[in-house]
Amino acid sequence: MATLQLTRLKKRYPNGFVALHGVDLSVAEGELIVIVGPSGCGKSTLLRTLAGLESISDGELTINDRRVNELEPAERDIAMVFQNYALYPHMSVAGNMGYALKNRGIAKDEVRRRVAATAELLGLGELLERRPRQLSGGQRQRVAMGRAIVREPQVFLFDEPLSNLDAKLRVQMRLEIRRLQKRLGVTAVYVTHDQVEAMTLADRLVVMNGGHVEQCGEPMTLYAQPATRFVASFLGSPAMNFLPLTAHQGGVVLPNGIQLALPFTLPEGRAATLGIRPEHLCEAASTTEGAILEVTVEMLEPLGADMLAYTRLPGLDEWLVVRLDGAHAAHEGQRLSLTFSPAHCHVFDAEGRRVAMAEETDAKVRAVQ
Amino acid sequence: MAYFQRSHFMPWLLLAPQLIIVSVFFFWPAWQAVEQAFYIEDAFGLARHFAGLSNFMAVLSDPAYYSVIWTTVVFSLSVALGAMSIALFLAVLADRVIKGGSTYKTFLIWPYAVAPAVAGVVWLFLFDPSLGLVTALLERLGIEWNHNLNGGQALLLVILASVWKQMSYNFVFFLAGLQAIPKSLLESAAIDGASPMRRFWTITFPLLSPTSFFLLVMNSIYAFFETFGTIDTVTSGGPGSATTTLVYKIYQDGFVGQNLGTSAAQSVLLMVLVGGLTFIQFRFVERRVQY
Amino acid sequence: MRYQRRGLDVVSHLLLAAGCGLFFLPVWLAFTASTHSMSDLYTHIAPLWIGDVGLANYARLLSEPVNGLNAGVLRLLFNSLVMATGIAVGKIVISVLAAYAIVFFRFPFRRLCFWLIFITLMLPVEVRILPTYEVVANLQMLDSYSGLILPLIASATATFLLRQFYLTIPPELVEAARIDGAGPWRFLKDILLPLSKTNLAALFVIMFIYGWNQYLWPLLITTDADYMTVVVSLKRMLTTGDALVPWQDVTATAILAMGPPVLVILILQRYFVKGLVDAEK
Repeated sequence: MATLQLTRLKKRYPNGFVALHGVDLSVAEGELIVIVGPSGCGKSTLLRTLAGLESISDGELTINDRRVNELEPAERDIAMVFQNYALYPHMSVAGNMGYALKNRGIAKDEVRRRVAATAELLGLGELLERRPRQLSGGQRQRVAMGRAIVREPQVFLFDEPLSNLDAKLRVQMRLEIRRLQKRLGVTAVYVTHDQVEAMTLADRLVVMNGGHVEQCGEPMTLYAQPATRFVASFLGSPAMNFLPLTAHQGGVVLPNGIQLALPFTLPEGRAATLGIRPEHLCEAASTTEGAILEVTVEMLEPLGADMLAYTRLPGLDEWLVVRLDGAHAAHEGQRLSLTFSPAHCHVFDAEGRRVAMAEETDAKVRAVQ
Repeated sequence: MAYFQRSHFMPWLLLAPQLIIVSVFFFWPAWQAVEQAFYIEDAFGLARHFAGLSNFMAVLSDPAYYSVIWTTVVFSLSVALGAMSIALFLAVLADRVIKGGSTYKTFLIWPYAVAPAVAGVVWLFLFDPSLGLVTALLERLGIEWNHNLNGGQALLLVILASVWKQMSYNFVFFLAGLQAIPKSLLESAAIDGASPMRRFWTITFPLLSPTSFFLLVMNSIYAFFETFGTIDTVTSGGPGSATTTLVYKIYQDGFVGQNLGTSAAQSVLLMVLVGGLTFIQFRFVERRVQY
Repeated sequence: MRYQRRGLDVVSHLLLAAGCGLFFLPVWLAFTASTHSMSDLYTHIAPLWIGDVGLANYARLLSEPVNGLNAGVLRLLFNSLVMATGIAVGKIVISVLAAYAIVFFRFPFRRLCFWLIFITLMLPVEVRILPTYEVVANLQMLDSYSGLILPLIASATATFLLRQFYLTIPPELVEAARIDGAGPWRFLKDILLPLSKTNLAALFVIMFIYGWNQYLWPLLITTDADYMTVVVSLKRMLTTGDALVPWQDVTATAILAMGPPVLVILILQRYFVKGLVDAEK
């Protein structure tokens, strides 16, 4: 168990490309941190610099307050699970799991005992003599986990470990990873591009973009209060709706001329973006005061429990996606009146940063005609 | 893919054996060949003086050199085309019979393992003027065979022996090339009504062209160099110089005639020729194989 | 495949069988000749079937000195074996190391080293034969096994094949090994070599045959029978001046000379084909 401290960590490649622009992060003991972001955002590079597979250009990395920048991967006391598992094809399962221990000069009996114990934990007991090519995808994944666990490392590193599995197995292994990590209490850093994996596994979530950390926090905090438009768009499915708006007379105005009074203070005339999640738009009851968005349903996607309605606001190019109840009787071409709570509104300035909500939390959203 | 970037000393240790051997037995001799080509040495090897391009001039102004080039071209092309067409024919047959294809492979690849000199001996025996089986058969047909006297027959004999040995190499590659052609292409052509012959010429043959080009270069190199053993055992370059190829002439001038300067000049000319040939080949390989 | 025709199949089989037979015929005739006596050979047209002095011929050849040489064929075969094995093992050892350095390390002048080694693919030993002879003579290596072996190792064919194979090893395997505490030597020993087993076997076959079949080089640098190879000795046996060629001895020696490499190729055919095609493609 260990703490991990990244201070202004930078990675610049010899060709001049900067993959990490100074990342700060501290990981507490036993915490599971998930790093998420689109491909090319630097999340894998970050993990690889933690592992020691990539050198650190600038900044400092400490594990348990010990600077490890210059240490070889094996000296950092970490274990890594690779996306393609990277099992040694010519070694048995037991050989794969015991290889690191053998390299450390641990006695054969001890290696055998620890491998057997870990295999037991993962339900691999029957497979110890098999070769990797004789195993199914899920079993290989387990062996890769076992190889990491058996070493009792300070830190686990996971590099998209579930992306080669089919959907059903992925859910199962996701739960299992969570269970094992809590049970062993080992600090872990987990990289994925899958936001569901990210949300469900993380103690804390780090969203990266373009070599920067966009936001770091508990999954629900990031969902409820995304610090940037990027984070808002990245988490949640279907993605958040964004409407362009301009500040006008203490309220805002949409491009089609509809004016809204929102509890945000923006300088007059400043362009910004309003974000509302599909699940936070709901049909206005006829009695609701100030129903505000009149839309037309253009397409429907029934998902079972829910129904996604792709609707259009007159005069706007963007879809407005609404999550309706699965039993909703909507049909294409139908007109809907939508309303939403101001607590669920997100406003981002022109640079994509979140604009803080005004103090008066009981403010109502009203359409100003 | 920087792997063991922290070991500065080790890569040199790993490379050392190969670099040393290549330097001593490749670059040093190659350099000496170039140097020697510009010097004339006296008969006892005691003194030598710079001769500029005169060695090259001597070689290039000798009509015998051009007849050797001609012999080499005729010999190489015959060997390459002969060995390739037989191999392609047999490979196509082996590819289309589903059963027994690998058995035929076993029965056809072993000549690859026979040394060119040994192949020469075996064929020499078949065509021996006094007791060869083929000689006797030819005699019945009214053809008198004596490669010790007839230059054309001598050339034909070394070509036969060389084709026999090289065929299996080509066979292995053609068969691999044929098996790599997706069967769906041939099946769809069959559905379109193309006859087996037409399928071969319109689909199989064009798709084999990279293999064929590669083999043409490899066969030429084989005919240039490796056939030395065949030629030396069968004809020793004769009668006259009817079977003297470029490499054989370098050997004759240098080792038998002790004419080091012109032999070295020939070596340099051949190096340039083969270097060019292999460069083309290498470009071709590199296009398919990333550095 | 339904579109294949039966008649064509039969014809194919016949042609293939005929091809196999034709390719085998010269060797068969050499073999039958080696089992007859010299007077038999010179009084009858080449025999198609095995004669009755085969064992005696071979036994005499193997043990008694061949004409013009003071050693029997057994000694020549042994020399060939040493040379072929030496070339195969030597090439594999230096190539394994060199290819490992070029693929798995980053160091200054790596590209230069790559080209220095691979340029040797362009010029076979025959082209630079005279100066190579002088170098070997200067190094006092004429008439020695090292003189037979070392100059023929100076080519990059094996290095090239191994490099091609190493490039197919997934980078994650190297990374996993580094995390598991395997340094460069351990990675080579525990992971890379076991994974290259098939390729090394293929290389061995190709290089053994290459070494065994060498002609010009051993012809030049060996003068006494202590180091002469069996392939080179054939020419000596054919050169009889005015006397008749002892064809029963020549053919028997030819059969013995092709035996080991042909056996190697037949036993290890699978590796050989894979190695050959992978190497050159």
